[in-house]
Amino acid sequence: MSVVLTLGVLASATWAVAGLVLLRAEARAYGSRALHAAPAGDPAAGVRYAFTGAMSPGAKESVREHLPSYFAGLAYHGGIFTALGLLLLALCDVALPGRILMGARILLGLGVLGGLGLLLKRLLKPELRRLSHPDDVVSNLLATAFVALALTGPVTAWMLSAMLLLIYVPLGKIRHCLFFFVARRHLGAFFGRRGVFPPGGAHVR
Amino acid sequence: MSAELDQKLEALTDETLAKGLAVFREHLKEAEAGFLNACVRCGLCADSCHYHRAEPRLENVPGRKLDHIASVFRAHYTTFGRVAPGLVGAKRFDRDMARAWVDAVFGRCSLCGRCSLNCTIGIPMPALFRAARRALGAMGLVPDDLQANVENSLRHGNNMAIEREEWVETLEWIEEELQAETGDPQARIPVDKQGARCLFTVNPREAKFFPLSLQASAKVFWAAKEDWTLASEAGWDLTNYALFTCEDDQAAAIVKNLTDAMTRLGCEVLVIGECGHGYQSARWMGPEWLKSAFPFPVVSILELMDQYLDEGRIQVDPTKNTQPVTLHDPCNLVRHGGISEPQRRVLRRAVNTFTEMAPRGIENYCCGGGGGQLAMSEYRNRRLKAGRMKADQIRATGAKVVAAPCHNCIDQLSELNKEYQLKVHIKTVAELVAAALVPPTSTPSSTPTFAEAQP
Repeated sequence: MSVVLTLGVLASATWAVAGLVLLRAEARAYGSRALHAAPAGDPAAGVRYAFTGAMSPGAKESVREHLPSYFAGLAYHGGIFTALGLLLLALCDVALPGRILMGARILLGLGVLGGLGLLLKRLLKPELRRLSHPDDVVSNLLATAFVALALTGPVTAWMLSAMLLLIYVPLGKIRHCLFFFVARRHLGAFFGRRGVFPPGGAHVR
Repeated sequence: MSAELDQKLEALTDETLAKGLAVFREHLKEAEAGFLNACVRCGLCADSCHYHRAEPRLENVPGRKLDHIASVFRAHYTTFGRVAPGLVGAKRFDRDMARAWVDAVFGRCSLCGRCSLNCTIGIPMPALFRAARRALGAMGLVPDDLQANVENSLRHGNNMAIEREEWVETLEWIEEELQAETGDPQARIPVDKQGARCLFTVNPREAKFFPLSLQASAKVFWAAKEDWTLASEAGWDLTNYALFTCEDDQAAAIVKNLTDAMTRLGCEVLVIGECGHGYQSARWMGPEWLKSAFPFPVVSILELMDQYLDEGRIQVDPTKNTQPVTLHDPCNLVRHGGISEPQRRVLRRAVNTFTEMAPRGIENYCCGGGGGQLAMSEYRNRRLKAGRMKADQIRATGAKVVAAPCHNCIDQLSELNKEYQLKVHIKTVAELVAAALVPPTSTPSSTPTFAEAQP
């Protein structure tokens, strides 16, 4: 891989990380809220549940009733993280063994299908289309292209797509790669403290 | 939207809009700023909302309601929102946006929080809807009849403007009824009893319209030989409609009535009657509004009844409640309050046939009356329409009695009962327990062993 492309990707990644750090710092600058009510449950247990059981189909109606979207989302994110892993390996000039590479390619393929499926859903469902902003389409296209090019190449195009994606990360909704964790941690702590998460909370006997 | 509210919106000045925006900004903390950066507009929250279930349209999608708020955040407080507003959907806070906020957060939301559980990301949306309501409040855009409840509480110490004499006379009358019912001339409804262990608080609707509900609670206390009292002055009303207007200073002043009464009467435990928002206000929000921990535990009467049964302080005979019973889970009590199991244990003991709704517990649907909706007459039709989910849930159980541990929910359920021809009876849990009570023997009970429900 050319040095220029490598440096370009590294610079873009630095931009993405710096942007996310800055966004997080901006959010933190709003200050935290002191809590005074005596807890009924364990916030830490709530956070653990928020990142595990609370996301499962059994606990989440929106998942149960939208399993195709759920699995498309899983595949899409699986593809994105696989492509990011491959990008890291490519930057380090590390080659994967054939079987693992095949597995990665399957994940990439599923990721592309998931990304395109979600994009089509957004464009075809009137309510979802009206809910959307251009950012939603741009974010999807950038990420899906990145995954697709990881699968098909050429490498130069893949690297360029990686740069574009990384540059866009802190600008649009892809920032949820950070704020998903922030929001879900707060959700878990809130409901954990009140004894709502995990289910039954403080009152189970 | 009411004509008055519409006129107020038309009359908004730039200064008023700036004031609202400043209040909104002031309300945001790290958590809310994080939430406002997190939504991916996947739309999967749509069907978690009873408004959307009843009327599937974009404006009823929680993510859409949230986006009205997030778009203002992006426009005013994010760099890229200022640079490329069209790309990321950033919109300035103007008259049209204020109108959209009013419609979204007052007109189409009961702050039930069901969307939070179903959000792909996990955004507690009511936290942001509260920030918007607070900003609108600063702009004078809280619906008048909702605000009137707050004003009553601030002026009269209760939200129905019941004067002390009327309140005390009502209690005396209910006490006579209690004595007649129990056959015990010593059955009392203590008022202003210094040093009583429990200060009991009720929804003023019990005094005005549902005296049997208060009588039922009193009967349970009588059977448990509880050392309890009500306050004659401010401090007996558990409601706090400022939870819905989101004016924290007013909410603090109202909840202070309860803490002052606890101090004045020297009670140990603050007991909240069957009221969802009253419980959330006193148990969870009160200390935050007053910015200090309460030096006493706050418990729901449901927890107390559960404990009485568990400790054998009261006995019940379920054959006295023969009709099939189902249970409504008030959002403020269950999803936001953490009280979901005590009422179930109580009902399993106190009624013959107990059937759960589906979904239930923290996944249960809002009845439609929460978030101050019952007090906002301009949205009555929407409220009843949105209540269809609850009506369907009730009908599917085949129950003849709906236990609803919340007086606001009872009002809404009563309207749904008529609107959807459910033909059910709606009762508090205490009413069912009181009906099933086995009269206590004359042997004195052991010293109360109530273990504080909170650390």
